[in-house]
Amino acid sequence: MIRIEHLSKRYGDVTVLADVSAEIRSGEVVSIIGPSGTGKSTLLRCLNGLETPSGGSIHVDGIDLLDPRSDIDQVRRTMNMVFQSFNLFSHLSVIDNLTLGPIKLKGLSRAQAQARARELLDLVGLSQKADHLPDELSGGQKQRVAIARCLAMDPKIILFDEPTSALDPTMVSEVLAVIRKLARDGMTMAIVTHEMAFARDVSNRVFYMDEGRIYEQGSPQEIFEQPKLEKTRAFVNRIRSLTRRIDTPGYDLYSLNAEIEAFCARQILPQSLRDRLLPLVEESLQICRPQLDRAPVDLTVAYSEKTGDLELIVERAAEAGNLMENPSVPDDLSVRLIRHYAQSVQYSEAAGRGRLVFRIDTHGAP
Amino acid sequence: MIAARLLLSILMMLAAAHAGRAIAQSGGAVKPMSETALIASPEDLKDKRIAVLLGSAQASEATKRWPGATVLQFGSPTDMVLAIKTGKADAALSDGQPLKDILRQDPSLAILPQPLHRIPVGVGFNKENPALLTAFNAFLASIKRDGTYADMIDRWIEKGVYAMPELGPQPSGQVLTVGVSDGGMPFGGVVNNRWVGFDIEMAQRFANSQGKSLKIVSLEFGSLIAALVTGKVDLIAASIFITDERKQRINFSDPYFEETTVLLALRTRLAGQALKEGPKAGSGNWLARIKSSVRDNLLTENRYLLIWDGLKTTVLISILATALGTVLGALTCWMRMSKRGLLRLPAIGFISLLRGIPVLVLLLILYYVVFASVDINPVLVSVIAFALNFAAYSAEIFRAGIQGLDRGQAEAGIAMGFGRLRTFWYITLPQTIQRVLPVYKGEFISLVKMTSIVGYIAVQDLTKASDIIRSRTFDAFFPLLLAAALYFLIAWALLQAINLLERRTDPHWRRQRGRTA
Repeated sequence: MIRIEHLSKRYGDVTVLADVSAEIRSGEVVSIIGPSGTGKSTLLRCLNGLETPSGGSIHVDGIDLLDPRSDIDQVRRTMNMVFQSFNLFSHLSVIDNLTLGPIKLKGLSRAQAQARARELLDLVGLSQKADHLPDELSGGQKQRVAIARCLAMDPKIILFDEPTSALDPTMVSEVLAVIRKLARDGMTMAIVTHEMAFARDVSNRVFYMDEGRIYEQGSPQEIFEQPKLEKTRAFVNRIRSLTRRIDTPGYDLYSLNAEIEAFCARQILPQSLRDRLLPLVEESLQICRPQLDRAPVDLTVAYSEKTGDLELIVERAAEAGNLMENPSVPDDLSVRLIRHYAQSVQYSEAAGRGRLVFRIDTHGAP
Repeated sequence: MIAARLLLSILMMLAAAHAGRAIAQSGGAVKPMSETALIASPEDLKDKRIAVLLGSAQASEATKRWPGATVLQFGSPTDMVLAIKTGKADAALSDGQPLKDILRQDPSLAILPQPLHRIPVGVGFNKENPALLTAFNAFLASIKRDGTYADMIDRWIEKGVYAMPELGPQPSGQVLTVGVSDGGMPFGGVVNNRWVGFDIEMAQRFANSQGKSLKIVSLEFGSLIAALVTGKVDLIAASIFITDERKQRINFSDPYFEETTVLLALRTRLAGQALKEGPKAGSGNWLARIKSSVRDNLLTENRYLLIWDGLKTTVLISILATALGTVLGALTCWMRMSKRGLLRLPAIGFISLLRGIPVLVLLLILYYVVFASVDINPVLVSVIAFALNFAAYSAEIFRAGIQGLDRGQAEAGIAMGFGRLRTFWYITLPQTIQRVLPVYKGEFISLVKMTSIVGYIAVQDLTKASDIIRSRTFDAFFPLLLAAALYFLIAWALLQAINLLERRTDPHWRRQRGRTA
């Protein structure tokens, strides 16, 4: 239904979309997730022609959207959009919001359009509010009206641009329930969302976007349970991390400790955890210290908000070897201390990088 | 050169207008009126406040002859007389004939028995049209020969019969435009809503003799020469003194009368004047006073017709200028908001230029400069001037209204497939109207009130009508209050129409009405 090929979008020097290729088939529900500023909304707005892409192509039912000869307004009437900020027409009552498009654009009679509008208001549970004005409704009600307004145009696909981001947490579920119902009824939808559980339940496919492209895509199980790529994993597990490169034996331990303390404070980690994390950092740097000139290390502290796991990752060139097996210092005191503080230690090599992962038990006592 | 001098005279007129229609030429503090210093001869004026008619021969004479005096220039003889009566000036220098009436009506005023001087008066012609001057001189000679002239002098000046004789049907030929000024009877004034007087009859007879139809344009005395030079009128007849100064600008006909200059003052301020007991204007109780005011200002000579015509003109100019100005303003706003410099920059220039020019100056520039050589109805010039002014302000009002709107709604319209034009029409425009109406109303009200200056280009609007009545009744109070009340009513009535529109565009009001219906 929608085919996107090598789509790119730049604002001056800033590249928002680098190279996006994807396909959305009829009847599919595609969730688009990813960190802020990675082009999710821009992608959606390009699909509807609200933004003009810098390159690539978009075909909707075989019509080339970027061809100036195509009637983009005709395409838009079958591909409606729900916005984060609702964007209801504030000078029109709820029912008039629903009937304006069908009457003016599809040539329906007033009676026909109103009958259909009442059905749709019933569907979203707002038949009582038909004669109210948008500013008399709550956020959740406004967004449901906006969805009904889209449906009134009988679209083939609906694009949702963060439909719940502007809502009070108590109103999120009423809007999601309506979208779930549409998904059950087989409506084709593309949804940019930060509601992970919802994306997982409702979609057939998930696009994880990062660095201006679709970084990884797959079924909800693939993306949420076995993500193949590190960034995807970090995102779906809501991993917060701090990475520093240490490349000289004369590193500033105190300033590094201060940074890690600040990071822990931001994640609201208990003091007992910090008391184990900081010695672990100190000892792990101790064992690689003599080699730091030749083999600098990337030190990462990672905390998953979802699972509560706290990890220290020490990464360096694989040829330098596994530090825990061959520490570069003669005595094994540091290695023993590390084993005391860490719940588990894993070593792996990939792409020429050796990676040591120390996990700290965040659940039980030390 | 001519343009520069013209502009200068326009500016002087403006200055006069802004100083409450009077300017003090020799500066200095306003001197308190001393009751003891009676005026016995013209020389006593040397340190007094002298009222003169703007642009008159007396005005330039007073400035030269009494450098120590304060010369106050007024736009009409009425204002001059009112200034004397209210003590704003000590004495006035005026043409002698028009004062006869005033002196009869008002015993509190008197003149020095000896006129200051006698000067012949003539009809003024454009220097570029000597043929018309020759024709007029021939006409003047012929009416002097056949006794018509003597008859006119007898009726208008000796007997004071202020009625036009039957002169037969107006010829339907070419139009002869005559500039006149309400200098007062016997030479020119409005009676029964018609221009009458010696000058008017003479002009009518001249037009008839030429087979032309006469068109009378009423101007401030000070604007007569400017109007003649710019071709707005073919000749000017307003008992104008033939002076060397004026001869440099225009041609004069042979003299048709010898007019005196007299010194007018309150009777109590003149030496050797016994207080005469006469009918007091302000006698009787207040009800009787109001009755007599209504009678004098509205009923006598059908003066209410002047008010009624002026009212219609004011409303017409207000409505047309608002309508045209709104359309122009919308266009300017569209250009101003365009991304293309070719459209945006002219719009920015237009807005800042028009907002920086007083609308009176704009009006005079349009009338005397832009449309100088075009025969254009001054009402139309007024509509254009106020529309341009209104456009500049309303363009910015509209822009603020559109820019203050929530962008998202227009985006939703575009995303639905409305396209730019229909999105504007169905979504942006209704919301903009609703938002800008309160400010727009204020702008409209000020336009209605600003139209009171159109009298400067000979449009007879409500203000001008009240001026003309004042020139006949010398009553400041009633005509001015009546004009104020009528302006208030016009503004109020027109505002109700906009309020209705405002309510119709307010969704809350519509909804409320839907509930009760």
